[in-house]
Amino acid sequence: MAIQSTVSFEELIEECNDAIATIDFADAQAWKNEGHTQALIGCFPVYTPVELFHAAGALPVGLTGAGNKIEISHADSRFQSFICSIIKSTLELAMIGNLDAFDGFVFHSICDPARNLASVFARTMNTKQVEYIHFPQRIPSYEAVVYLEAEYRRILAWACTLTGRSVTDEDLRRSIALYDAVRSAIGLLYDVRRNEPHKLSTLELYALVRYGHVAPPEKHLRILEHALEYVRARGGTPKDRARVVVVGSFCEQPPMDLIASIEQAGCYVVDDDFLLGRRFFTGGIADTGNPLYDLADAYVHGSVDSSVKHDLGHSKALSLVQRARDHRADAVVVLTAKFCEPALFDYVLYRKALQEAHMPHVFLEFEEKMWLFDKIKTELETFVESLLFS
Amino acid sequence: MHDATYQGRLHYLQKQLMADYYAELTASAEGNGAPAAYLLIGGNPVELLRAFDMLPVYPEVNALQLAVKKNSLGHIQSAEDMGYSTDNCAYVKADIGMYFAGRKTPFATIPEPSLLLCNYVGCNVYLHWFDHLAEYTKKPAFHLDVPFIRTASGRPTREDIDYVMRQLHQLIATCEEITGKRLDEDKLRRAIELSSETGKLWSEIKHLTKHRPAPYDAYFDSVTMMAPLYCLRGTEGGLEFFREARDEYARRAAAGQGPLPREDVRYVIEGPPPWPYLRVFRDMFARWNAVAVASTYSTVGGLWEFGFAHDPDHPLESIAEHLLSWNLTNRNFLQRYDQIERYLDEWNAEALVIHSVKSCRLFSAGQGDMREYFTKRNIPTLLVESDLEDPRYFSEAQMRTRIDAFFESLAHRKLTASASASGDKA
Amino acid sequence: MKFAAGVDVGSTQTKCVIVDRDGQIVARSLIETGAYVTRAAERAFDEALASSGMSRDDVGCVVGTGYGRFRVTFGDLQITEISCHAKGACSLFPGTRTVIDIGGQDAKGIKVLDGEVLDFVMNDKCAAGTGRFLATAAEALSMSLGDIGELSLQARNPVRLSTVCTVFVESDIMSYLAQGKKLPDILGGIHSAIAARTIALVRRVGLEPEITFTGGVSLNVGMVHALEERLGVPLNVCADSHYMGAIGAAVFAMEHGLARAQEA
Repeated sequence: MAIQSTVSFEELIEECNDAIATIDFADAQAWKNEGHTQALIGCFPVYTPVELFHAAGALPVGLTGAGNKIEISHADSRFQSFICSIIKSTLELAMIGNLDAFDGFVFHSICDPARNLASVFARTMNTKQVEYIHFPQRIPSYEAVVYLEAEYRRILAWACTLTGRSVTDEDLRRSIALYDAVRSAIGLLYDVRRNEPHKLSTLELYALVRYGHVAPPEKHLRILEHALEYVRARGGTPKDRARVVVVGSFCEQPPMDLIASIEQAGCYVVDDDFLLGRRFFTGGIADTGNPLYDLADAYVHGSVDSSVKHDLGHSKALSLVQRARDHRADAVVVLTAKFCEPALFDYVLYRKALQEAHMPHVFLEFEEKMWLFDKIKTELETFVESLLFS
Repeated sequence: MHDATYQGRLHYLQKQLMADYYAELTASAEGNGAPAAYLLIGGNPVELLRAFDMLPVYPEVNALQLAVKKNSLGHIQSAEDMGYSTDNCAYVKADIGMYFAGRKTPFATIPEPSLLLCNYVGCNVYLHWFDHLAEYTKKPAFHLDVPFIRTASGRPTREDIDYVMRQLHQLIATCEEITGKRLDEDKLRRAIELSSETGKLWSEIKHLTKHRPAPYDAYFDSVTMMAPLYCLRGTEGGLEFFREARDEYARRAAAGQGPLPREDVRYVIEGPPPWPYLRVFRDMFARWNAVAVASTYSTVGGLWEFGFAHDPDHPLESIAEHLLSWNLTNRNFLQRYDQIERYLDEWNAEALVIHSVKSCRLFSAGQGDMREYFTKRNIPTLLVESDLEDPRYFSEAQMRTRIDAFFESLAHRKLTASASASGDKA
Repeated sequence: MKFAAGVDVGSTQTKCVIVDRDGQIVARSLIETGAYVTRAAERAFDEALASSGMSRDDVGCVVGTGYGRFRVTFGDLQITEISCHAKGACSLFPGTRTVIDIGGQDAKGIKVLDGEVLDFVMNDKCAAGTGRFLATAAEALSMSLGDIGELSLQARNPVRLSTVCTVFVESDIMSYLAQGKKLPDILGGIHSAIAARTIALVRRVGLEPEITFTGGVSLNVGMVHALEERLGVPLNVCADSHYMGAIGAAVFAMEHGLARAQEA
């Protein structure tokens, strides 16, 4: 499956797009059937310590709902109309059998609906193989690292029962290094977006990153490295467009057509928080000799801002303003999933800080199951006009 | 139709006690009282604050009082003007609206916090709420991170307990810094003793509704007792109130007196009440002589009826245990199913009513699954929706129709069942 | 006792039905509810009586139903429209096991056996999937409610709605019109979306046949078609569908009146 150098960049992106367009997880299943992995573990957003699963011989697969590719007809009898779509579409996928090939699932302490989904999921799927990671909220602190290290040890033991393997520190270190390389390649692609946004569209970048949700990291890394080569070689000059930072879509994902329409409205998206878990750390993971501790420490002391992480000593709103400035952004687009409480709460503080910093912003709500974007496009275009004419 | 006031001696006693408590809050706000510590209801570690003579302030209790006094909507709307969404928890919005309106309420002036203690017990909104309060008040804040119950055993892990214990020691250091006092171990022990006694009485009271008829309504009358349970637990006055409550309800149970002239239906209720329409909501059940014999909502602050009591010999350990295991909010959703099943069995209830509130997703997210689970077990289950704080989500006519239809069909089914039973005999 | 009556006071319309001992409808009336609910109930009752030349004394028992049931001051009993819809549906179609009812504000599913409600579900707070949604759609297209169902049957390639949210349906329709989509295809999409939503709702009580479709929206042929297509079974529908609550109330009234007479 190695990428031939004859493959064009367009074909590379097409391969990613094909892989992420399906909701039957056929590629992951094939990967398992071919014996490359012992187990498939579905990982709900926002962040999962995928290294643990990889080291245990499992393939961590990102569960990001079903976008607008599914009609929810079972799951909305379980979750009410005021619950966000990704909760329901993920459960729907399970209820219609699309997740049958999975061996385990992991949810996290990101919000109350996701918390209850873990329970409902276990009951509906009649499986005990549903794990829940409680991420620490006493941040920053040494206690949180000690706690999280133990939590990771517990989760690792579970993953080992799914794969029937035992894991050495060396295995863990290898997996951490591999995912670090993936994160670093993603970081370099984001640098291109930031410095030469005409060389890589947001949609291309999105497809490249999201490919990691369904592909093994080894393969993902090769694709990313190829993409980097191509992208760097691309020519052209930047157009006169508004540079924007997009925040708020860290869990449920906007439809790709909606992401495209941000750029069509006349913007360069120079930073975003789509698929935030794929680039969760501010730097690489240290190697102090205890890989679980290192991974836990990176979460507590070296991870990016997220609406589902709370550090009382640090203002996410001010750091958003700083991030926008660092990216030479003209504006911030707050794009939140309908009913997403963490994003909606953070927005209030963002709004205040952005206004005080005279950084223009627009607030938009989406649902992954959206099909038509005329209204949201009009809002975006109006906003961009106001930026360019002001 | 039943037309009682529902108000017994205990309700008046509670009013008096709470008035005194609110007077303390006002005094603190005016600079003549103890320093205030904001904390949350879920598994509240109030004993520790009492040991430092800090005044516990529960934004949730204040928010619900605003709703009961028909005072919430204006504050909710002013919070929405600040950018809060219609989809954000209305407790938070009412509280923040009230904060910016000068902290004046019809029942008290709420003091500025000296400490914001976010006992994060399951509810993720708690974290956002106190993040925002910290931003607005610029006062010291402490996130007490309590790992959620997530293992098959239904118990915290060894590391969970260690983690909480370490944080409790840090919390003590923080309280010492704020109050300028060292922790008085005897005072803490005394608060724990009082709390322990109070918890045992509360548990006894909870078990009294196993009587037929139940001596009080385990939803509508339990909420009357919940405010003292949180605001006054760990004090002599709080303990005295629960002695009175136990005596009163034990006497009524022995005398065969219930909250309604008749008890036709015994049901279990899940979810917080619609505070802005509490009375109207109660009437809808009273009309059918339906009495709640158990409620999950009355266990958010602590689940004493299943055997928990604070241990004066291990004060901090028992605070940790209370936070981790012995409250509804830190338990997972399937543990709540088990809790309801116990109520249905041991309290002899025949139906389940789920009041699904939009604000509190911790409670409500997935209640459709709960409905499905109990319906499959042949428990007549009704799911109705409104909100705990936002009056705009309460549709009286719609609510009444659904509740009436539910009890109509329940009555009809009983009639058919008894007819066929007597037919069998004949 | 020869006759009994049911009065269904809804938010927009009030209906009265009078039945004989066999449950046959002998008189009916339908009026706008207006602002005076009690008066509307009385007027509907009087009109039904007048249409069949009866007086109030001919009717032995009256049951009030609908949102205004407690305002039927001359009624002997009040019963919710949920029980009454079930009763009415079983009276007209005795094999009914599931009732799907779509009215102006509510959509509901009722599981029944021999006229007895075993379980029911109703739409939640949002109006998605109710008659209100269709009305909004019709308004956006400047069409009458009566025409949209008929036209939807001509759909060849029904469009896909991104949401069944009443608030957003208008902009979706505008988008499709701007894209040049055909009117029947847009209408087909709208009906299909509500059918999907309704079935998802009613599935919560089970979807056992026979299924009887009641409420104002059951007069919409497009909706009947969309539901039947998705369910794969024919629905019981009758021209008196929108009287179902009143019919059920009248049948209840007859049962109640006869039982009372027996006790006396």
